[in-house]
Amino acid sequence: MIKARKLTKRFGDVEALVNLNCNIPQGCIYGMVGANGSGKSTFLRLCNGVYRPDEGNISINGGEVFDNPAVKEHSIFVPDELYFLPQSNLERMALLYESMYPHFSKERFGELCGAFKLDASRQLNTFSKGMRRQAATILALSAMTDYVFFDETFDGLDPVMRNLVKGMLYDDVLERGSTTVITSHSLRELEDTCDQLALLYDGGIVFESDVQNLKTTLFKVQVAFSQEFDRSLFEELDLLAFNKQGSVANLIIRGDSAKSKAIIAGKNPLLLEILPLTLEEVFLYEMEALGYSFEEPTPKGGNPV
Amino acid sequence: MFQIDRFGRVPIYEQIIDQTQRLIASGLLKEGDQLPSVRALSQELSVNPNTLQKAYSELERRGICVSAPGNGRFVTGEAARIVGESFLERLSEIQQISEELCAAGVSFERVVQTVKIAYGKESKG
Repeated sequence: MIKARKLTKRFGDVEALVNLNCNIPQGCIYGMVGANGSGKSTFLRLCNGVYRPDEGNISINGGEVFDNPAVKEHSIFVPDELYFLPQSNLERMALLYESMYPHFSKERFGELCGAFKLDASRQLNTFSKGMRRQAATILALSAMTDYVFFDETFDGLDPVMRNLVKGMLYDDVLERGSTTVITSHSLRELEDTCDQLALLYDGGIVFESDVQNLKTTLFKVQVAFSQEFDRSLFEELDLLAFNKQGSVANLIIRGDSAKSKAIIAGKNPLLLEILPLTLEEVFLYEMEALGYSFEEPTPKGGNPV
Repeated sequence: MFQIDRFGRVPIYEQIIDQTQRLIASGLLKEGDQLPSVRALSQELSVNPNTLQKAYSELERRGICVSAPGNGRFVTGEAARIVGESFLERLSEIQQISEELCAAGVSFERVVQTVKIAYGKESKG
C-alpha cells in the first residue's frame, strides 16, 4: 500500500504538489492522468525517493521512502528520462540491477530480451530512443519488485510491445499481487490497463475512482418533450451539465442510470436515450463540475455548471 | 469467446457480463460449462485481471455462475432462467423501436409480421 499524506513539494516559487493525499492499494494497476505540469512526474519521483518531500510524507507498506533502501529495493521506476551507465550494454545493466534487487530474475531478463529482440551485448548508446525505452522496461520487469512505476513509458512503446508488457503486468498482479503506477496522456490506454484512475490538477488529486465506477456513475441522457422545458424539470437528479439545442437536451447525470431513467421516463418524454460516456468525456465533465477546464477558464456558454 | 470493443462507450466490465449472458441465452453456454479463467482471459484479451474479476463477481452475485475454489467457475442450473428474466427488460427496447416505427408511419401489421418471423411463426417474404 502506497500512502501519501499532505505531500508537498516545491521548486523555488513553484508548488509542484500541494497537500496531496492518496492511497494506492496493493495488487492494483493505478493510472494517473493530468495536464502537463500537473505534478505527475513529481509524484512518481517522490514515490521512489528521488526527491525528499518538503512537507507531509509518503510511505510504502508503512516505511518512509526517502533514503530508505529497505523500502526502495521493493520498487522500481522507469522515468521519462532514462539513465544507463556510460558505455554499458544491457548485460552490464542487468548485473547492476541484480546487485540492488534481491529478486532480480535472469530468466525473465533473457526471455524479455528475446521477445523484444534486443541484443543485450550491444552498447546502449547505439540504441534508438524507442529501443532504450524497451531496454529500461526489460530491466524494470526483470527486477520482480512489488511496486513498479512507469512515467509515460507506455506511450513510447509500439502496440505489440505494449501488449506484451501489459500481459506481464497482469501476470504479476495475479501471481504476486504486485502494484503498478502508470502515468500517461492516453486515457484510452489507461482505461484498458488500469483499475484505479486518478486525475491530477494543479498539484493535487482532483479525484480518484475505480474505472468501473467512473464509467457507470456518470452518463449522458438525450431527452426531448412535446412541451417546452428547461433545467428545472430535472431538479431531483444530480445534473452536471444541461445543454439544450432546439427541442432536444443533452444531460450529464451522476447517479444510478436505471433509477434516473425511470425518473425521466415518468415525465413522458418523446425521446429518451441513455448513452455511456467515454472516459475522456467523464474527465472533462468532472473537471468542469469542479470549475476547471483545460481549454478555457470559464465553462462553455449554455452549459452552466 | 469474448469480443472486446475497446473503442466503444460500454465499459469492458459490462461487455463481459453482457456477452456471457448472451452466450447463455443462445444456449452456447450451458449448465455446468466452465468459464475461462481470469488469467487466461486477461492474457487473451489483454484486459486488467481485476476488471475481469469484478465482472465475474457480478455474474456470481446474479446467480449465473459459481466458483469452485481451485477448480474454476461454472454456469449454474439457474443461469438460463435468470438470464431469461433479465431479457424481459429488453421488451422496453421493442416498445421504443415500435414507437419510432409507429411515428414513422410503418403499419402495425408489418411490425407484428416481423416479430412473428423472428419467432419462427411465419416464413419470410
